[in-house]
Amino acid sequence: MTQWQFHTPDGVSDLLPEECAEKRRIEQTIRSVFEKRGYFEIETPGLEFFDVYAVGSGAVPQEALFKCIDHQGRILCLRYDGTVPTARVAATLFRDAALPQRFYYVGNMYRYNEFGGGRQRSFSQAGVELIGSSSPEADAEVIATAITTARKTGIEDLQVSIGQVAFFKGILSEWGISGEAARQLPHLIDSKQMVAIEEMADRLQLPKAARAVILKLASSQGSDDDLDTFEQLVRSPVAQQAITNLREVLMILEDYDCRRYVTVDLGMLQSLNYYTGVIFKGFTYNLGFPLFSGGRYDQLLQSFGRDLPATGFSMGISLAMTALQRQGIRSKPQAVPCWICYEKPERSAALKLAEQMREAGSNVICNGLTGDIHSFLARRPDAKVILMQPGGTWQWLQGGDPACNS
Amino acid sequence: MQFLNIALSKGRLAEQAIELIEASGYNCQVVRDPSRKLILEDHEAGLRFIMAKPADIPTYVDYGAADIGIVGKDTLLEEKRLLYEVLNLGFGYCRLCVCGPESLAGKLDQIPNKRVATKYPRVAREYFESKKQQSVEIIRLNGSVELAPLVGLAEVIVDIVESGRTLRENGLVVLETIADVSARMVVNRVSMKMKAERIQPFIEAVGRQLEARKDQASE
Repeated sequence: MTQWQFHTPDGVSDLLPEECAEKRRIEQTIRSVFEKRGYFEIETPGLEFFDVYAVGSGAVPQEALFKCIDHQGRILCLRYDGTVPTARVAATLFRDAALPQRFYYVGNMYRYNEFGGGRQRSFSQAGVELIGSSSPEADAEVIATAITTARKTGIEDLQVSIGQVAFFKGILSEWGISGEAARQLPHLIDSKQMVAIEEMADRLQLPKAARAVILKLASSQGSDDDLDTFEQLVRSPVAQQAITNLREVLMILEDYDCRRYVTVDLGMLQSLNYYTGVIFKGFTYNLGFPLFSGGRYDQLLQSFGRDLPATGFSMGISLAMTALQRQGIRSKPQAVPCWICYEKPERSAALKLAEQMREAGSNVICNGLTGDIHSFLARRPDAKVILMQPGGTWQWLQGGDPACNS
Repeated sequence: MQFLNIALSKGRLAEQAIELIEASGYNCQVVRDPSRKLILEDHEAGLRFIMAKPADIPTYVDYGAADIGIVGKDTLLEEKRLLYEVLNLGFGYCRLCVCGPESLAGKLDQIPNKRVATKYPRVAREYFESKKQQSVEIIRLNGSVELAPLVGLAEVIVDIVESGRTLRENGLVVLETIADVSARMVVNRVSMKMKAERIQPFIEAVGRQLEARKDQASE
């Protein structure tokens, strides 16, 4: 029998001092960026009722949730993401607050991935939700916040793809594509399966313009000229409006001085049930997955009793750590503490000195000697060590500044 | 110059892929190295080949350990990773099929709670559960799947069928076709954006070569 007490479960891991310090630094940076933009932190519980993740546009496949059952037989699940609980809070506890509301979170999410293959099942995410505004300013604010967040953590090489799912939804209804085809087509476009797309276009007997649009959606490398081309090829007012909306967001991003990070990609078509407008993903070098992603989700809050537009993004903190590490960007580790060693009679003086030094900003460990000071020094040859001496004086034995002796 | 990392599997599929990439104007001489090295680099061409097991190629590409992968559609369907599937390379053609004894022809749907032996548990499960709305018991095997119905381990199998010879020699027939399969070029989603200036010309060159071959074949 395997002795499980020596192990951590699949998909979770311990964060040791160095990583932990790096993570805290990144979290601190992120908090500061969010708060400077007027977002307030909330902490939702790690446990939610299953129903929170089972209804409406935010519904998550049940096999992706970690579940347990409470004493009354109700199903609970571990927090799967930050957005859905934040939407619950905004729609219920803040239902009378003035709009728009700005919230942020930093916390652990839990996802049960069937095809794990090394993917973490518990990971830390930070994100903002801007609730109650449907303006392009809101979309641009969230995107600019995401870009600034990544840059402040140290990631400069950044590319953001921006799309607008209403465009695709508009053309689907314009060409009367529904049912199974409407379910498959976005997946084929999103994964750029040109051959399969052409086959489907044949099967659906799509008109020439429609063919051109879906092939261009899948093949385009993201240039602004795409918008002009698409605008000419489609009639649907919903799709036209989507392009106008996207143009506006891009214009505002220009004013944020963020435009150079952003390329248009209308072929991004994931989570179409969830997203309703502008969506975006941020990429950086040496990271196989998007660093952050987000977008407009105007239907989610309905599930919690309030019909409010909203947009937001989330960024993977461990993804940011991986990217920074692989790009060779290191932060300062936690300061090495200094040791104050004392014999019993000097304890009171030693503890006082330690407090003084802590007040002055040092990290200090007090150590009542049980043996010879020399054997202590031999065990920790790299440590900074002070020896307390009778009469309240003290002396640096190792690693300190001897001039500071008292 | 940043390396373009290409994941390949040893074997016939890789040979055809290398031949295609070479014909597209990229030097692949390093891959012909008969050694057992798993990473082969050509600094001049800026190409790094990663030799992996076929079933692992989608994983390497998904994680960005490889920018590009050459892999069969059957493996892609089984692994279901979020990748760009940019080119159908037009070789390695076969079919993913439900196969069993001839006596089951036309009667497959009448067997309740079928036992299905396969190397493709996800493909098999999705086909029966999602598409046909039938409950099945999946028995995962690692090869010689044709044995399963013969020894009573399963009623049917889900496997790739190329010529159908192995099936025939073991008294089995194709009952239903799940999907047509061929070799594909897949690309990591981040690489496609971050290394566009290297990947885009690569895809285009191979795409042009494929078109040229198609034209030749139709002449």
